[in-house]
Parts: sequence; structure tokens; C-alpha cells
Amino acid sequence: MSETRNRSGIRSGGIAVFGAAALMVGSMLAGVPALAQEMTDVGTPRDQTLIVDMLNARVANPNTMNPYQQGVTINQGLHQMAEALMWDIDTASGKQIPDLAADMPEALNSDYTKFKVKLRQGLTWSDGKPFTADDVVFTADMIAKTSGIAYSAAFNNAIKKFTKVDDYTVEIETTKPTPRLPIVLGSLIYGNPFHVVPKHVWEKVDPATFSNFPPVTISAYKYKSSDPNGSWFLWEKREDWKNSDVGQIVGEPKAQYVLFRSYGTEEKRVLAMAQNNMDILTDISPESLDILRKQNPNVHAWYDGFPYANLDDPCERGIHFNTSKAPYDKAETRWALALAINLQQASIATFSGMLRASPLGMPPTSVLMKTYHKPMVPWLTDFALSDGYKPFDPDYAVKLADQLRSEGATDIPTDPDKVRDLLGVGWWKFDPDEASKLLTAQGFKKDGDKWQTPDGKPWTITINAPADFEVQSQRLAFAVANEWNAFGIETNVQQMQDGPFFTAENTGNYEVGSYWGSSCGIVPDPFVRMEGWHKDYVRPNGTATSSNQGRYSNDELSALIDKLRTVPSEDPQVVEIGTDILKELVKGLPSIEMFGTSKFVPVNETYWTNYPSATNYYEGPWWWWSNFKFIAAKIEPKAK
Amino acid sequence: MRLLSQIATRLISYFLVIAFGLTTIFFVPRFAPNDPVEAMLAKVSSTGSFMDAAQSDALRASLTDAFGLQGSLLEQYGRFVKRVLLTGDFGPSLAMYPTPVSELIGRALPWTFGLLLSSTLIAWVLGNFVGLLAGWRPNKASSRIMEAVAITIYPIPYYILALVLSILFSYIWTVFPLTTSVHGAPWSWAFVKSVVWNSILPAASIVIVVFGWWVISVKAQTTALAEEEFIRYARLKGLSDRRIITRYILPNAILPQITFLALQIGLMFNGSIVTEILFEYPGLGHLIYTAVIQGDYNLLMGTISLSIVAVATATMIIDLIYPLLDPRIRAR
Repeated sequence: MSETRNRSGIRSGGIAVFGAAALMVGSMLAGVPALAQEMTDVGTPRDQTLIVDMLNARVANPNTMNPYQQGVTINQGLHQMAEALMWDIDTASGKQIPDLAADMPEALNSDYTKFKVKLRQGLTWSDGKPFTADDVVFTADMIAKTSGIAYSAAFNNAIKKFTKVDDYTVEIETTKPTPRLPIVLGSLIYGNPFHVVPKHVWEKVDPATFSNFPPVTISAYKYKSSDPNGSWFLWEKREDWKNSDVGQIVGEPKAQYVLFRSYGTEEKRVLAMAQNNMDILTDISPESLDILRKQNPNVHAWYDGFPYANLDDPCERGIHFNTSKAPYDKAETRWALALAINLQQASIATFSGMLRASPLGMPPTSVLMKTYHKPMVPWLTDFALSDGYKPFDPDYAVKLADQLRSEGATDIPTDPDKVRDLLGVGWWKFDPDEASKLLTAQGFKKDGDKWQTPDGKPWTITINAPADFEVQSQRLAFAVANEWNAFGIETNVQQMQDGPFFTAENTGNYEVGSYWGSSCGIVPDPFVRMEGWHKDYVRPNGTATSSNQGRYSNDELSALIDKLRTVPSEDPQVVEIGTDILKELVKGLPSIEMFGTSKFVPVNETYWTNYPSATNYYEGPWWWWSNFKFIAAKIEPKAK
Repeated sequence: MRLLSQIATRLISYFLVIAFGLTTIFFVPRFAPNDPVEAMLAKVSSTGSFMDAAQSDALRASLTDAFGLQGSLLEQYGRFVKRVLLTGDFGPSLAMYPTPVSELIGRALPWTFGLLLSSTLIAWVLGNFVGLLAGWRPNKASSRIMEAVAITIYPIPYYILALVLSILFSYIWTVFPLTTSVHGAPWSWAFVKSVVWNSILPAASIVIVVFGWWVISVKAQTTALAEEEFIRYARLKGLSDRRIITRYILPNAILPQITFLALQIGLMFNGSIVTEILFEYPGLGHLIYTAVIQGDYNLLMGTISLSIVAVATATMIIDLIYPLLDPRIRAR
């Protein structure tokens, strides 16, 4: 299909056209005033309507809102504004919080297979019927017994049964020891497939085919209207918002309406915000943000100055290897490739230096920097490869800051500690000599300027990269390719659409890829991220797997993961074991972790204010997650 | 008798072309390194939902079953032929499971048809008219200007042209909406007005680009025809320009244009992917794009099959009516 669009660092025609288009938008719009507008194009008062960018553009099947149909989109507002999960996430503290549940689950036995869960009282569905344990137990039974629901098989694999104790208490039994029940049934990032449904509606229908349109909702907003072609969805505040999770947890949401709106391409989304027809955008490129800030003074990024982006995204980006394929099956080869990367250059080439580096298999979010990155600096500094070489450079951030300042960047702190907070605790040295030494010891040879594999063939690396999505990973692939080409390894980038890209990763049909694997997470408990590295999940190339796609087998690492499995999230041992796991991942380096993800997610303060930001950090800017309803409730109308 | 034999031969080739096309569109996506189950699992995984390996494997098996991907390729092909031939059903979309492909196509088709039929016909009529005049009097200032305009517009990349139109008429002068967003109850006056209003800018972008091609192509033919002996003879006979153009040049120049128009109308069923993406237009092009990137076999087969049947039918109709338009073919 749409693979192999270009090679050797040559950006695709799409990027060239986008660049030209972005330049054109910027130049043509100079001096055009933002337009005031009193009503939205869907007929609601503008100052009572919060307009949010829809993450996945127009919805092709807009008259279906059944979250149990696998191909149905729910981020048109359903899961952000109208539904509620058992447990959601507080991204500022990195902790799960009770949502429909009144508290975290109470384990009833020592092997963590039976739990008591108290439910929040005083909630009603949008049709006025009360929310009780009957709804929760019905939902679990419905999923378990309906084979037409794809999630049913996965649910039954983990959950044995739900039992009603009283109207506001349920007992949950699992099929195996599950010390982390809230991650199975609640959100860690984005959401969770377990959506409690109203029994009085769903018991009368076939859940596999039910359209659930318009939906009966449990959170503070209800469905109002939508475009039959799926370009917008309007949600209205419930009169009885007090009977919702948001009403109880945060209070009254200020916006009477929340309009989820798709404007399609990035250029159009930028124009819409410049025109004040958009309040909150999902991520855009730094170039578009630059244009937007110049066009509309009311548009703000996470930081008002450098680096503008939010750096606390739960996924980190880097270069992943299929470690079952030579020559990437040897740690020394992978280490050589890491030391052949000048990360300062890669950072500037990717997002003009607006990235926080990560030497660990753990995203460098503010919470996780405090938990792992900073405490591990002494170990990282002392860590040596088998030949005694110490690869860690704790001054990476300071050097990058100096370089950026010399190139004219402003707003970069001068205090080295603050610089490290912003740009990372450090990374691996750029040391082509040590990289060459490691490769030579492995039998690689140099023919002129080019490296050859130990069997005497030219060494060519192809990096799989996303084509028209995940722009940071895409640009990073090109930046790394440039570094490796300069080092003497012929490196190409193969851009792929998401279907072929992930198929290749899951089936092992790749050698090197700009993937992010299981690196996403926001809580200090590393279980979700580390579980996937267990050797038990290694499958032969050609057989699909959703865990350990790098096919990395390491006994010490797997033993630590076994230990982590038995410890509940809140146990202090979790961080100790997590730290040991990260050390094993540094030693073996199955993937070269490089940066956290920088999200350029602008907001427009023409009509609304009190958005979360670097200086008002009550939540991260995750408009497309289920916890957006808690953020939306805190956004206030701008004083006239 | 001879005519009946010709029609029968043409009908047999028509059905063979369709059968070959459908078979190709069944197998080609399956040989591509794109598995819709893995694409769907990646979607689940990208939403942060935690599933351990056993849960993921259970979901993988469940989706493979639900998507009808179990069994060998030949078994799947057998089921596909039976289902499509007997019921015309392409099954559920895999990317938007379980919405039926027929429902998605049914919703998108009127939009694509309305946009592309109107813009293609407007561009065809305008382009041929201007090209004819420009070719007949190539040295007149008006002809040169029209030709210059066509030559200038034609090479502009469509994406850039459409974006410029958007910036001019949706941002600087907010005349038309940035993207397609209709309002009103279906088929109410407000709805129809909204559809027309939303379609003007995407239609204009297509007309402007396609217009240039028609002008250039018909002008070349007209210029060549103007030098033909039978045209000189007509001039010497003292016939008026209008009569020469309408009776002598137009019937000759228009034949290839009609053939190409028919093919264009057949190709309409492919949608116009760039237009639909840029203007968020809810047509078939958007669906085909989604089907390709998500490895949605069923949706791809549904949309492309429609295009195959449309192009095959359009060319067959042209072949059958050509003798009515061209006496030379009748005489053969």
C-alpha cells in the first residue's frame, strides 16, 4: 500500500507541500484581524460554548455511540464529557482517582483475586434513573456473556464475576491474582474499555448491535445534536449536573455547551483557531503554533516561552530494535548505535530543541522525573559498559541550552538544575570513537567511509517511521538517519501508514523502527510499561504479538517483572523494583529511548480562561482523555 | 444479427472485466503487509488500555473471527464471491466495525455524486466552449487571454489552489465555511441550502483545475481541425463562423471529449480524495483513504468495486452509443 515513500532523509512530498502551505498560510494571513463572533455555526451562544478539536477528525459512522463496538469512535465527546469510568486518572499527581467507584478497591484476600468496591452514591443517569450496583453488575455480565462484543474475550480472561452486595457495593472476582485491579477496569492514560452502561436501557437490546444513539449519559453533559456527517457533536450541561461524578468531584461546569468540532487538516484547524472558532486544539506542529501565536494574541501554548510544548506526555520516543534479528541481537551493537547519535542535533532537527531527553525506559514526565530520572543520576553516571567505558553525559541539557541560546532562543533558564528539569537529566555521550571501537570488537569493518557487517556486506539500516501521524516519531526517524549516515552506516527511512506500521511491529517484520512500544505511562508504578518486556511474550517473527514486539529475552529482567507482578501499586517496593528494571534495560538497551513527547496543544483565551498550563498545573492538557470532563469543569468564561 | 453479436461480445467482455476487477481487489490488499486486526489492536493499545498478553491474544482471535478473516485465502474468497453475488453485501467495515460497508457507501455516495457530477459537467461545458473559441480564432486577444489563464491555472498543484481558495474565501473574506458542516433536518430547505452553500468552494476548486485541461485539449483539436480541407471548403463557401463551428468543428472535436467525459463520470465513484480531505467533505474519497490506511478490506472492496462497475459500465455505454454519434462507425 502506501509504504516506502522516500529514502535517505529526503522528506516526503507531503511534508514539502505542508511546509509550503504553512508558509503560505503564515504570509497570507499577516495582518488579518481575528473575527468576533456571537453565535457558533451550530446556533449556540459563543460565550457559552467551549469548542474542542476532535482528535480523529470527522466521524464516518456518527449515528453509533456503542462503546462496545470495536470500530466505533467515542472521542467525539462521549468518553470525555458524557461517560464515567470506575477509576480515572489525575495527571498532575500521577495517581488514579475514584470516579464511579467511591474509593479504590479493597482486597478481600491475600492473593488479590477478590475485591470489594464501594460505588459513588447520589448519581443519576441523564434520564433521571439512579445509578446503582445493578448497572455495574449488569455491564459486567453483559460483556462476559455477549460473544459479539470483541472485548468480551479479553474481559473474561481477566474477570471471573461481579456480584452485587448492596445498591452501592459490588464484589469483583478475578481469574488470576490481580494486585492492580484499577488498571484493568480504570484509566491510566486516555481511558478504559470497561464502560458502565444503564441497565434499564441496555437490558432491552442486543448489546452487540445496539446503536446507543442518542446515549443516556452518566456524567455532567448530555447529547444535544450533531452533524449527520460527523463533523460536529454538541453536548449540553445537564440540569441535574449535581447528580454526576463531575458535579460531586469538581462542582458545576461553567460551559453550557461543549462542541466537539472537526476542521480536518492541520491548516484548517489552525485557521479555525485564528478565527476564534476553536478554543482547544489537539496537537499541532511547532511551525503551526508559531503561525497561530502570531495571528491570534489570545492563543497560548503550555509555556508562554520556550519550549512552548507540554513535555509531560505519557509516551516517550526513541528507536526500537527487533532484537531477534542480527546484528541488532547484540547489546554492544545497540550501544554503538546509541553512541553514534548526537542527541543535541537530533533534538534540534526534530522539534528545534523543544524536547526533554530520557536515557531510561520511562517517560520523563514531571512526576516520573522525581521518581526515577533524578534519583538514578548517580547510578547512570557510574554505569560502565563491558569495556569500562562510562557512556552517561549529565551535562547534555546544559550544552543544548547553551547551543540554543547561541542560536537566538530566548526564555531558556540559566540555572543548570532548572535546565535539567526542562531538557532532561542527561543522555548518552556522542562518541563516534567509542561507537567504532564497540563495532570493531563485534567484527564490523569499515570500507572507506562506510561500515560493513561482520560478514563483509554493506551495512544498511531501514528505520520504519509513521507517515502522516505521530509527527515527532516521524521526524525523529529522519534525525537519527542523518546521524547514522554521518557515522558511516547507510540508513533509510521507510514511512508507513498506521496499518502497515503497526502490523510490521507486531509481527516482527522490521529491524529498526521509530516505535514507542509499551513506553506509555504516567503513574510511578511501572507495571504497565514493564510487563511487556517479559521473555514469555517473545513470539517468533511472523507471529503477531502486542507485547514485547522487540522480541527481547532477558532472564534477569523477566525475574524482576515476575517480582513486580506480585506487588500492589501503592507498595513502596514498586519504585525499588522499577528502578532495578530500568537498570537492566539500560544495560541491555533493547531500545534507544530518546525523548519524552512534546505536545503543542494551544488554547484560545478569547472566550474562556483558566485552562491548565505550566503555571496553572492542575491537570495535563489531555483534551482527548476521559478525564477531560474534570478539566472542562474548571475552565471559566472570560470576564467581559 | 451482426449488431446483436457485437452487443453480446461487448456484454461478455463487460462481465469479464468486472469479475477480474473484483478478484484483483479481493487479493491485492491481502497480499499487502497490512493486517486490519493488528491495526485495530494498535488502536486499542494507543488508547492506553492495559491488556496483558493473554487478553490481547483473546482480543486478536475474537477480532479475526468477527472480521471474517479465518480460514485460507481461497476459503475467504469463496465466502466473498458467494456473499457479493447472492446478496451484494460487502459485510461490515473493519475499521468502523460493525457498521455495514453498504451503509457507509450509501451515506457518502450522494455527496460525491453531487459534488463531482456538477463540477465535472460545469468544467466540461465551460472548458469546451472556451477551448473551441480559443482554437477557432487563436490570434484574437480574448483567445490568448483565455488560453493563458487556462495554462496558468492548470499546473498549480490542486492542494495549494484549494488552500488558497479557502484562505481567500473562508478566512480573509468569510463568505464560505472553512469545512463542510451541514445543518437542518434532512431534505428541508435549510438543509438543501446548507449543502449547496458548503459545496460551492470545493466544487469551484475542482472546476478551476479541470477547466484548464478541457480548454487546452479542445483548443488543440479545434486548431488542427481549422486547417482541415473540409473547413477551408466551408469557409470558401461563405458559411458563417457560427455555422462552421457548430456544424463542422464541434461534431468532430467533441467525440473524444465525450469519451473522456464518460470515463470521468465513471471515475467519480473513486471520489476526490484530496478535495474531500481538505474540505472535510463526507464523500467516497474519504472512505477509500480510511480503508487503505486502516487495511479495511471490506470497505476497500466495496468502494473500489463500485468504481470498477461504474467505469466498466460507462465505457460499455459509450461503446454502444458511439455508432449513434459517429456515422463512420455505423458504416463499418
